[in-house]
Amino acid sequence: MELKGDPDGVVVRAVLAGEVDQYAVLVRRYQNRYARYAAQLLGSADDAEDAVQDAFVRAYDQLAQCRDPDNFAGWFFLILRNRCFAQRRRFRRESGLDSVPNVPAPDNVEAPLEQAERRKALQEALAILTMEQREVFVLKHVEELSYEEIAARVGTTVAALKMRMHRAYDRLRELLKEMR
Amino acid sequence: MKRLWFALVVASLTPVMLAGQRDVSARLAGHVPPAVVAQVQRLADTAVARGLPVDPLVNKALEGAVKGALPDKIVSAVRAVLQQLDLASDALRPVGVTSANAIEAGAFAIAAGLDSGEVATVARSADRAHPAATALQVVATLVALGVPPGRGVGLVQATIRSGEPLADLVSLPSRLQVAMAGGVPPAAAAEGLERAALNHLTPKAQGHGKGQGNPHRP
Amino acid sequence: MSRGFDPLVKQLLDGERTIADLPPELHAEAAEALRLQSAIDRRDVSLSRDLEARVMAAVRARADSPAKRAWRWLVAPSVPRWAIGALAAASLAALLIGRSSSKQTTPPVTASQPAESAYVKFVLYAPGAHRVALAGTFNQWDAGATLLARAGDQGVWTVTVALPIGQHQYAFVVDGRRWVTDPAAPNVDDGFGRRNSIMSVTPTSGPAL
Repeated sequence: MELKGDPDGVVVRAVLAGEVDQYAVLVRRYQNRYARYAAQLLGSADDAEDAVQDAFVRAYDQLAQCRDPDNFAGWFFLILRNRCFAQRRRFRRESGLDSVPNVPAPDNVEAPLEQAERRKALQEALAILTMEQREVFVLKHVEELSYEEIAARVGTTVAALKMRMHRAYDRLRELLKEMR
Repeated sequence: MKRLWFALVVASLTPVMLAGQRDVSARLAGHVPPAVVAQVQRLADTAVARGLPVDPLVNKALEGAVKGALPDKIVSAVRAVLQQLDLASDALRPVGVTSANAIEAGAFAIAAGLDSGEVATVARSADRAHPAATALQVVATLVALGVPPGRGVGLVQATIRSGEPLADLVSLPSRLQVAMAGGVPPAAAAEGLERAALNHLTPKAQGHGKGQGNPHRP
Repeated sequence: MSRGFDPLVKQLLDGERTIADLPPELHAEAAEALRLQSAIDRRDVSLSRDLEARVMAAVRARADSPAKRAWRWLVAPSVPRWAIGALAAASLAALLIGRSSSKQTTPPVTASQPAESAYVKFVLYAPGAHRVALAGTFNQWDAGATLLARAGDQGVWTVTVALPIGQHQYAFVVDGRRWVTDPAAPNVDDGFGRRNSIMSVTPTSGPAL
């Protein structure tokens, strides 16, 4: 029996009841929804794929602890988020340094960069931010959530998020002076 | 006046209670050591005070004796039965189910692996044609056959809701075994039976629509 | 070291203000902020199609549900050989309730049938046994109260008992010392390190024997 049209709660309960194959419904449903978020946090689609795969397997392992099966998506997001943060920490430990972007010197008076180059520059600048700063930036400006939605999702206050975000804006401005 | 009424009630119940107590000791004497008799007696007193059946406790002690179990194991096993009866009673009372049969069936379902919530859910599904005790016996048997508790509960609920006669509910374990003998795992066999039961439902009685929310929001 | 954005420009970035809300001296800074915003990459990311297969392979490898374990127990070769033969016969006989008396070959052990009960036939294939008894909740676990009789000479033992309505736990006792569950019946932990078979006797619409 294929549960692909059923709400998350139905599918989760079926999996917990022993219908392991139905878990594929959830994988299919959500594997790309958070792919962009993971890719932006980790800086590459490959790393995102590792994190998403890892998160799905962990979510299966912990499925019995999903307190609100009808909101599997939200619960899965948190597991993925943990995986992304853990992966980033691991990357940092292995590399020994934050990656340094190829940002032109502050007194460079070149013409405004092309869109693609600007995009790349921003991505590189984002990579310098802390994970928390990058995350709030991605959730607000890429995923286009409100501060309230972000706060609910990651378990913090709107005020704390705004403070984090505003520091991120300042840091980005500093890193991207050439875009003026 | 109230005190007199209370005293009369106690007086009328006392012989029954004492008889019950003597019965426990009498039934166990010679089968288990005196210390075990005393401990089981105390557990039986607790059961009586809580309105729980005593027979399951005595039976478990006799079973332990005939199987040659050590005294402390017998007492542990009896205590476990009392706990199961307690849990079942707590789950069933709010649903309005209080018969000794149903409590025993509920305790058995708990021993088989269902939780209190699942016991209450099954009891709530019961109706005049499908008594709670029977429904609980059936779900416990399904679980003992290897069906996951949640799936067993769903199957019993669907069967009752489909309006099929009691015999269909009662025959679920044997129908499951027929499917399993064909190589189908218990959970899948139960799921197949549930679908068959749901197919008997009118469209109105079937589940309502499925919403998923905005897919573009993480 | 450059300054950060003006707080009003940050609010612009947050979507809480428009450029028209800002004083003219901040317009240049606002334009810079909006250029930053325009550089945000919002392209969708699609992960590879075989991610699902990799996840499901890992998930299936982990799936060792109680249902699977119980099923494996049922079909495991560790079930005693002398009991396996009873599986087909017993699954029909032991679970039938209120069936025609013409199929019975042994008379009921109990002399009188209590109200609200039904006859149940128990069958065990035990060719090497000398004595087979049935003990359970319905006879206070008395291993001497209900003996099975040989049916024919092929090692099959049977007894038919009137059981009251309700749930019963039982086991066979072979030669006074070996406790054996009914291979055709579901079973549960007995709390003593063994397992008991279970039998439900329920009210049916058919005539009681």
